[in-house]
Amino acid sequence: MKAPQPDPELERTARLLAVGVLVFRWVAFAWMVVLAVTRGQPFAHPALAASALAAIGGWTAWLTLARAHDHPFAPVGDLLLATGLVLVSGVVVEERTLLIGTPFFASAYPVAAILVWGAARGPVAGGLVGLVLGAALVAARPLNGVPLGDLGAEQVQGLASSAVIFVTAGIATGVVSRVLARSAEHVRAATERAARLAERESLARRIHDSVLQSLAMIHKRGRELASEGPVAPGQVLHLAELAAEQERELRALVVREAEAAPEGMVSLRAALEREAASHDPAVEVSAVGPIWLPARRAEELAAAVRQGLENVRAHAGASRTTVYAEAEDGWITVSVRDDGRGFTYDEAALRRDGKLGLLASIKGRVEELGGELRVDTAPGRGTELELRVPEEGP
Amino acid sequence: MTLRVLLVDDHPMWRDGVRADLERLGAAEVVGEASDGGEAIELVAEHMPDVVLMDLQLPTVGGVDATRRIAEAAPHVKVLVLSASAEEADVLEAVKAGAAGYLLKSATSEEVADAVRRVAAGEPVFTASLAGLVLDEFRRIAADAEPAEPRLTPRENEVLKLVAKGYTYPEIAERLFISVKTVQNHVQNILTKLQLKRRYELMRYAIQRGLDREPEE
Repeated sequence: MKAPQPDPELERTARLLAVGVLVFRWVAFAWMVVLAVTRGQPFAHPALAASALAAIGGWTAWLTLARAHDHPFAPVGDLLLATGLVLVSGVVVEERTLLIGTPFFASAYPVAAILVWGAARGPVAGGLVGLVLGAALVAARPLNGVPLGDLGAEQVQGLASSAVIFVTAGIATGVVSRVLARSAEHVRAATERAARLAERESLARRIHDSVLQSLAMIHKRGRELASEGPVAPGQVLHLAELAAEQERELRALVVREAEAAPEGMVSLRAALEREAASHDPAVEVSAVGPIWLPARRAEELAAAVRQGLENVRAHAGASRTTVYAEAEDGWITVSVRDDGRGFTYDEAALRRDGKLGLLASIKGRVEELGGELRVDTAPGRGTELELRVPEEGP
Repeated sequence: MTLRVLLVDDHPMWRDGVRADLERLGAAEVVGEASDGGEAIELVAEHMPDVVLMDLQLPTVGGVDATRRIAEAAPHVKVLVLSASAEEADVLEAVKAGAAGYLLKSATSEEVADAVRRVAAGEPVFTASLAGLVLDEFRRIAADAEPAEPRLTPRENEVLKLVAKGYTYPEIAERLFISVKTVQNHVQNILTKLQLKRRYELMRYAIQRGLDREPEE
């Protein structure tokens, strides 16, 4: 199959085909055993017949137990085994008996090789393998002591139709597997397209719902104000605030999460950017890489940062706030730093005065994650909250 | 002496606003306006401004390319990138290409005027988020273990981390017991190493492709 990248739909099809061929092998093998046991007359070469049967049984068991259908050697082994079986079919029975009966060993099992080649390599390969086995079928006659010249018209016809069936089976399997692969590909592409469309639609809806409506409003109000002559600062400020709010909304919509997330992980940077985007005044997020974390850990950290930002808004009177995050040596460090008025950090005194508030709950969250909170502040020097938690843990 | 500034942005309204701000605050004289990168390169050659205020999203020749070519042709002209926040990967490229500073478009008029002055005086203007990106770049170098590539000294790493945390140069100077000038030098060295890193990347790319001639621009 041509697609090197793993495609679940294609893989499923290939697996189903492989299972089908395996079932076919076991049925064919069982049928040969039944024929061998119930056969009226003895074999000309019983040892050869027994070892041929043993070879088939062993081969089938290996393919089944080792799940070896996609082993690189499997198709070649199949082709060799099938050709050998067809040739042996002329040898194991008594001389000159192939004239009348069906060739015993060539009846069913070799067809598996045709199916495998057709399914894996397409119609041409399937047809060619059918042709090889057809030729082996012809060659089995002289091996049985029947010169080809001795065959009557009816026997030639029988032989030819067997060969034709081999070739057609190979081509048909090849065509069917190609068609299956192609339709699986179509299904996958269609699913992807549908997902993309759905995402675009939801994005468009969100933009329309809030951003476009606000823009229209800003536009209209702006024109009205311009035509009214001198404008009160408060009215302009209102427009600016409206625009700022939409800027934040849009920014939150386009927050990057470009890198593919590992299974079950989310980007701490993206989570912090969402917190910052919903906070006023503007908060800058600075992160060293996307920082992949289990969803719950990232949420807990983001919630702690939200409380930190809340604290800044309530008490700091800051002009700049920065949220910083990095992952190093198995630890996540997140800091919330503002250039506001700062304070004297004395946990005992603050607790006694009932002023620990948000800090206590941030500390609680961080400790639940197995980490610690450091507070770096002094009156007039701004405040830095540093949250350190292990990447993995409670 | 008034600083001479070239404005590069494809939105005339934006250019008008910045021009009015700079002139109102008496920070600089706008000697030209360009609406794409090609025009910017020509106008730099014509006017030799002190500072170029550069947007990155430009038609035809983009801001990163224009920055690279201005830095090569006129190294004394400082390029200050003024850009929206979602384009930080581009901003990093622009800084690697030789930009002397970076400011968000949401910065206030005073902040822009101040940044123009600082960049013209040779001070690297950095935002915290850009510092985070730069730290990420250098951590990746360290992980790749390419011994010839430039790395940060422990001190530079410390300074860059404080910038990323949102500390200003004077605040960093006070924390590390060094002068503000030394902090600026560290930041300048970090930028230089970042630009060196870009050359290593180009070289490694050329070697991987089996090309040993000069990469064509």
